[in-house]
Amino acid sequence: MTQREDDPRIGALTRRDMLKTGAAAGVSVAVAGGLSVGMTQVAHAASDTIRGYGTTTVQLKDWSLFNKSTGLTMEFTPTDANMGNFMRDVTVNEVGDTHDLFFTDGGTQYKLGPEGFYLIIDEQHPELVLWERTSDNYKRGYITQTPDGTQYGVPMVNNADSFGYWPEAIGVNPNGLEEVSWQKLFENEDTLNRASIDRNWLLTMPEVAFYMQVYGKAEIVDNANLTPEEAKAVGDWAIERKQAGQFRTFHTGFEEQVQLLGNREVDIINCWEPATKNVNAEAGADVVRYAYTVEGYFKWGIGAYIPTQAADRDNLDNIYKTLNYFLDGEYRAFQAIERGYGGPNLDLGVKYAEEVGWPADQVAAVDAVQKKVDTKYEKPFWENLNPDHQESMEEEWQRFLNA
Amino acid sequence: MANALVSRSIRTWYTQAASGRWTVPTFIIVWTVVVIVPLFLLLLYSFLETKGFKVVWDPSFHTWDRFFETGRWTVAMRTLRIAIGMTVIELVLAFPFALWLAKGCRSQGLKAILLTLLTIPFFLDLSSRTIIWRALLGSNGVVNTVLMELGITSEPVEWLIFTEFSVFFGLAAPYFATMVFPIFLVATLIDDEYLDASRDLGANPLQSLFLVIVPLCLPGVIAGVVFTMVPMMGEWVVPQLMGGGKVNMIGRSTEDALSTLNYPTAASLSAFVLAILVVLLAALTLLTRRRGGIAGLFEALKL
Repeated sequence: MTQREDDPRIGALTRRDMLKTGAAAGVSVAVAGGLSVGMTQVAHAASDTIRGYGTTTVQLKDWSLFNKSTGLTMEFTPTDANMGNFMRDVTVNEVGDTHDLFFTDGGTQYKLGPEGFYLIIDEQHPELVLWERTSDNYKRGYITQTPDGTQYGVPMVNNADSFGYWPEAIGVNPNGLEEVSWQKLFENEDTLNRASIDRNWLLTMPEVAFYMQVYGKAEIVDNANLTPEEAKAVGDWAIERKQAGQFRTFHTGFEEQVQLLGNREVDIINCWEPATKNVNAEAGADVVRYAYTVEGYFKWGIGAYIPTQAADRDNLDNIYKTLNYFLDGEYRAFQAIERGYGGPNLDLGVKYAEEVGWPADQVAAVDAVQKKVDTKYEKPFWENLNPDHQESMEEEWQRFLNA
Repeated sequence: MANALVSRSIRTWYTQAASGRWTVPTFIIVWTVVVIVPLFLLLLYSFLETKGFKVVWDPSFHTWDRFFETGRWTVAMRTLRIAIGMTVIELVLAFPFALWLAKGCRSQGLKAILLTLLTIPFFLDLSSRTIIWRALLGSNGVVNTVLMELGITSEPVEWLIFTEFSVFFGLAAPYFATMVFPIFLVATLIDDEYLDASRDLGANPLQSLFLVIVPLCLPGVIAGVVFTMVPMMGEWVVPQLMGGGKVNMIGRSTEDALSTLNYPTAASLSAFVLAILVVLLAALTLLTRRRGGIAGLFEALKL
């Protein structure tokens, strides 16, 4: 039987092909493998548990809220924001066999959608009742669609990333409203050996390139989609800064961000906004700030995507019920308060906060999140997490790390 | 009749197998399939390249060119330097301790407690154990606070963390037991009469140590070196947490390559290290030639 290249089930069939091969070598192994797959499917069909896999910060801090609202239980496997690792787990490790939903930055659908690893979203699904009222600004575009308009994702949260800092240590107004230059992170005498940058080339390299672009340190057309020559220029400059002693450390994950900033191991760090919220929750209100920048931001959004393997299971209704929950007010209000994230249908978040009797300042805080995000989006930004020359970018970043 | 035939066939097969007639060919076939073919594929992969998360079947030296240009080879060399250096340190620390535990410790209760304590690293997650050092050795950690309170330094000692020193420090505890156990086991097998005979023949303690004990412990030393150095070469938790990503080792570099599904680069890293290990093994074989090669060292276990 010939498999068509445009067959959307190609990704899902890989495991079965392997089992068939296994059968030739040993029937018992294949049967055991087949039984285990079958049992997994039955378990999915029979339970009200949704198994999620993806970026940890899309989580509610208390998933029992989700359970009370939907009757479903969330089992979440958290990952960092390394898109390469995510794509490896989806394509090679086939985590779709065991998970119902993926949560990751927009951009993966460009490759994983057409190659058959994601299901196309059924916009008419009866459980997706809030889809119609969700603004096209959120549900269409870079986070959820491919350029031909195929809908592979449902929007969850968005933000504009910059860096966290201790205001007095870097000499800026502690009210958090002062616009701070990326120069403080990359090229500043006061922050020598007091800065940390993310080790992930996909996140940090475009930031360095953006800074170089803005200040004319190199000819760069698109800081998030570097040519090999541009990547080399960024690598060279980053090595200069490294050798000048700018960076105290290179961090890898959310917990490390919180620890480095919270322990004052560094004064400035390119991190996720929730890291500053976690530090403030322990160290005191607003002791660290998340920067409004002079130059611009990394704009991003996380979407939810359904693995192709889920089509074989009978819990698609529950999956769509979960997707609808992410568009509703409860999820939006808690993401705004707990993480500082914006997202679709924020008006429902405000409505939820009012209805359940949150204090006025918290209701206002939910409302303010969107204004904050919108304010940041008025500045220049980049959003590509799907560069054309990722190999050369990764290799140049390795050169920087190894220098 | 049929049973007798089957029984005879099995007996014949067993006799032939025991005589080595089938053992060597079977070993060669299995070894080829399980080890040699994957290594060959590894080498083959290192001559391919990745484009857009896909391996391109167009053999070239591109991956090897980039391997040297991007400094990935220095990662391999750094990894070897740290692994060899740390293994030597562990050997120096572990050998006297293992010897004392095997021959000097007279209390069975204390011996049992110490052996149990040595197994703790095997039960606790390495990252959980390592992250604690960051809180202790960091700029605002306990050690720096004490140093400043005592007036020994006026400002935090920053090289305690995020340096190669801190990586060495972080590796010491996790890999101590892997060196101690093999040496301890071999040392316990040494008959005390050899030590008595050595003394009766006029050897001083140092002569007994270097002419009797050390040679008899060599199998344990070699096993300890292997069990310590080889896993250390793949270590990436300690280099990241204690080195702060500044001390890039091969485990993390390989993971980085795999994060872009860049299997050719990961293969080139592995092939490079493998080649160095082969050179080291050849050197070890040459050095031990006078004692009958590496296999000859294990003859001591027959005593």
